[in-house]
Amino acid sequence: MTGTDTKTKHGDASDGSSNSLGARLSRFDGPDKIRGAARYALENHPANLAHAVIVQSTIAAGTVRAIDVAAAQVAPGVLLVLTPDNALHLDSASNWLGAPPPDAPYLPLARTVTFNGQHVAAVVAETLEQAIEAASLIRITYDATDAIPDFDDPRAGEGQPMDPMKIDWGDAETAFAAAPVRIEETYRTPREYNVPLEPHGLVAQWDGDALTIWEPSQWIDGMARTYAEWFAIPFDKVRIVSPYVGGGFGSKALACAHGAIAIMAAKMVGRPVKLAVTRPQSFTAFGGRPATRQTIALGATREGKLLSIVHRGDNETSVDGFAVEPLGAVTALMYATANLSSRQNIVPVNTVLPGPLRAPGENPSAFGIESAIDELAYAVGADPLAIRLLNYAEEDPHARKPWSTRQLREAFAVGAERFGWSRRTPAPRSMREGNQLIGWGVAAGTYPVRRTAGEALVRILADGTVEVASSSIDMGTGTYTILAQTAADALGVAPDRVRVKLGDSSLPRAPVAGGSQLANLMTGAVHKAALAARDELIGLAINHPSSPFRDVQANTLVIADGRIAAPRGNGPAVPIAELMRKIGREQIEVLRDTLPEASRSDEDRYKNFTTVATMRSPTDGDYSLHSWCAHFVEVRVDADFGTVRVSRVVSGIDSGRVYNPKLAESQWQGGIIMGIGQALLEEGIVDRRHARVVNNNLADYLIATNADIPDIEVISVGIPDPHASALGGKAVGELGIVGVAPAIANAVYHATGRRIRELPITLDKLM
Amino acid sequence: MTQPITLTLDINGRTRTVALEPRVTLLDALRDHLALNGTKKGCDQGQCGACTVHVDGARVLACLTLAAQVEGRQITTIEGLAGADGGVHPVQTAFLERDAFQCGYCTPGQIMSAVACIREGHAGSDAEIREYMSGNLCRCGAYPHIVAAVRDVAGAAS
Repeated sequence: MTGTDTKTKHGDASDGSSNSLGARLSRFDGPDKIRGAARYALENHPANLAHAVIVQSTIAAGTVRAIDVAAAQVAPGVLLVLTPDNALHLDSASNWLGAPPPDAPYLPLARTVTFNGQHVAAVVAETLEQAIEAASLIRITYDATDAIPDFDDPRAGEGQPMDPMKIDWGDAETAFAAAPVRIEETYRTPREYNVPLEPHGLVAQWDGDALTIWEPSQWIDGMARTYAEWFAIPFDKVRIVSPYVGGGFGSKALACAHGAIAIMAAKMVGRPVKLAVTRPQSFTAFGGRPATRQTIALGATREGKLLSIVHRGDNETSVDGFAVEPLGAVTALMYATANLSSRQNIVPVNTVLPGPLRAPGENPSAFGIESAIDELAYAVGADPLAIRLLNYAEEDPHARKPWSTRQLREAFAVGAERFGWSRRTPAPRSMREGNQLIGWGVAAGTYPVRRTAGEALVRILADGTVEVASSSIDMGTGTYTILAQTAADALGVAPDRVRVKLGDSSLPRAPVAGGSQLANLMTGAVHKAALAARDELIGLAINHPSSPFRDVQANTLVIADGRIAAPRGNGPAVPIAELMRKIGREQIEVLRDTLPEASRSDEDRYKNFTTVATMRSPTDGDYSLHSWCAHFVEVRVDADFGTVRVSRVVSGIDSGRVYNPKLAESQWQGGIIMGIGQALLEEGIVDRRHARVVNNNLADYLIATNADIPDIEVISVGIPDPHASALGGKAVGELGIVGVAPAIANAVYHATGRRIRELPITLDKLM
Repeated sequence: MTQPITLTLDINGRTRTVALEPRVTLLDALRDHLALNGTKKGCDQGQCGACTVHVDGARVLACLTLAAQVEGRQITTIEGLAGADGGVHPVQTAFLERDAFQCGYCTPGQIMSAVACIREGHAGSDAEIREYMSGNLCRCGAYPHIVAAVRDVAGAAS
């Protein structure tokens, strides 16, 4: 609509003055969640539903010799026993980069076993109990071969160099050798698991060649692509429904083998099938963070100014798959140094293919570099905070580009002030209360701003309310709430007049809710669509023959509090519903995307929403885009027993502009809490005789409980970053965990004089 | 083992009659047979607390309880926590106001535990709340806000 100015009183969400974005609103999906009325995927029970249960391998390497299904097949209620022998043919699918698949079938049930806990068979029965019973009757015999249980086994070797991870500037080896102060240590993290409280699983229903799947998903369009390719059906025949996701942390972004098994079973029995992965099975139905080890050599002046960083890292991967946990991610970013060298290998072992877990790469990378810089501080007699400021990177030392915004200095300052850092006595074991050794530690964290184009539909309805629709998801991340806030501001209505629909393939497409990108890309898309809807409404108000504004002679109008008016308040203020009635419109519907002009073909769109190939790196452009944080931690270590308790956390956080501080603070805190668990508790324990993760349940794989967590103060120091995103926000969800574990390890050193370089920090390591 | 038996259950003040195999847990009875999906299955082995319900007012893990065990007992689930007027319990309101959840999956169990924690007299201090709420895991890490929500309601009641 030409001739319309789009300024409104409340509408310009980019100026930070709006009354909705930035407000501490309670989450809009909250009322359903507190009443138990939010329906999660596995709570959909179509008529005639059958239940599937998976049987996993009990060896880690070898072949399945025979599967005796005789007893299972005749067990009460059994509809189907599924094995590699009767499984349907599936095509292989392209990967998440969109790389073409191998010309070989996809086998979700294994004949050749490569890890302990691999899916081998499944039972479908009338009831869950019948399926469980029949599954217990299946007898599998194997021809086992030797397995490599972990990357410390000498047979694992050095692994495969990942050339794309190679980072070099200056002459790091020579500069290290010549440095007056040198430290060199190895840091290790164990296998860690996502363990969202909602188990993985799905309900699959065929209707001819159309497939409906109720499944918790961080990426509806990406998973639909995989399912379509496995089953050789058109993409638009797959509908995934996922309005609520009971936690994902990276583990619900990609289709898994159990999905293929359930969908196959539904096809074979001609009924909808529900398959819930059991909690123990979830430890091998998909991978968590791989075990990592990294050696960091720091060369520095006697004052602690870095001269060189030499970094060598490895992570475990599966025997037939690539998983890279980029251990140099923070190493090459956090500090200014004239010389750096980083290498990474991946080491195949008999494990499930590892997957992404909150801040893959940045998290263990920060444990290494933020522990090492602390060691350097003690080596040169510097304060751990001062040495970080001494080596502050004024620009991205790797990309050699300016930061878009980097409020890390402010994060250190506000964190130190609130924590009381100046009262710290530097010597280890110098702060004590009775039998408790007190330690104060600091560490920084960072997470990149990733960017993919989004799409959103905005609809102004006859009653003056607004609908926003997208196949993006909310896993507790606040999407429902902040998209309503965004649309409300752009349209000049109250946020409670906006209904947001998410999590359904039938809605406009969205890229992965991963890499902490979704909030920024979706607020950008909704803002754009809502402004276009407002323009259309204002255009109609000015030009429509039945509009009350027809004779006002205005070339623009404003919308505020759900009413349209002339900008200077002369003339009527007409509620949107009244205007819609007068101009005879049932709705105004606008679909907009933020794809580049040159990439708008159907193929481009499909690629953008179903792969990560179009995701822009944080240094694509003139600036280097990252979020930053500084964690200050107090620990109390029992002098006799070595038990470590985190007693206080204060964190300064730069995520740019914050769309809803109440919800962002929850995510930052949640990341910090997961980091406390990672530092002190979490460890997948491998029985090396059987290459099996033995603590595959929530009583033995320890995550933080309420009693493990103290008060945590998070303070936003971010400023709107127009280079990072349309509305000025940066990454939130994955940032908070980065740097927590080293802050705790550093505090433990300060408390005890013991430097623990291997997570988790358990009492046996302090004895 | 698989012959169904007829059970009469008192759930949220209503009498429900249902034919179930004797081995069906209270959790699966609620979710798969009675359309009461508010009670969540997180581990199915008594480790996470997501399935917490009240039986005769005490918190119980529905995944470790057979439906047949609770005949003649009063069962309350998240759906029955509110009064007959359809409003919400003060603990539910406090959870929303304090943002004591993110994904929401552990939330019904947390709320059922919180109501019982206060009723038991175990909400006298933050430390006590933390201890008595530690049977309910939250992977999103809402613990400090859960403590605040329980404190709000316990403080208002005392």
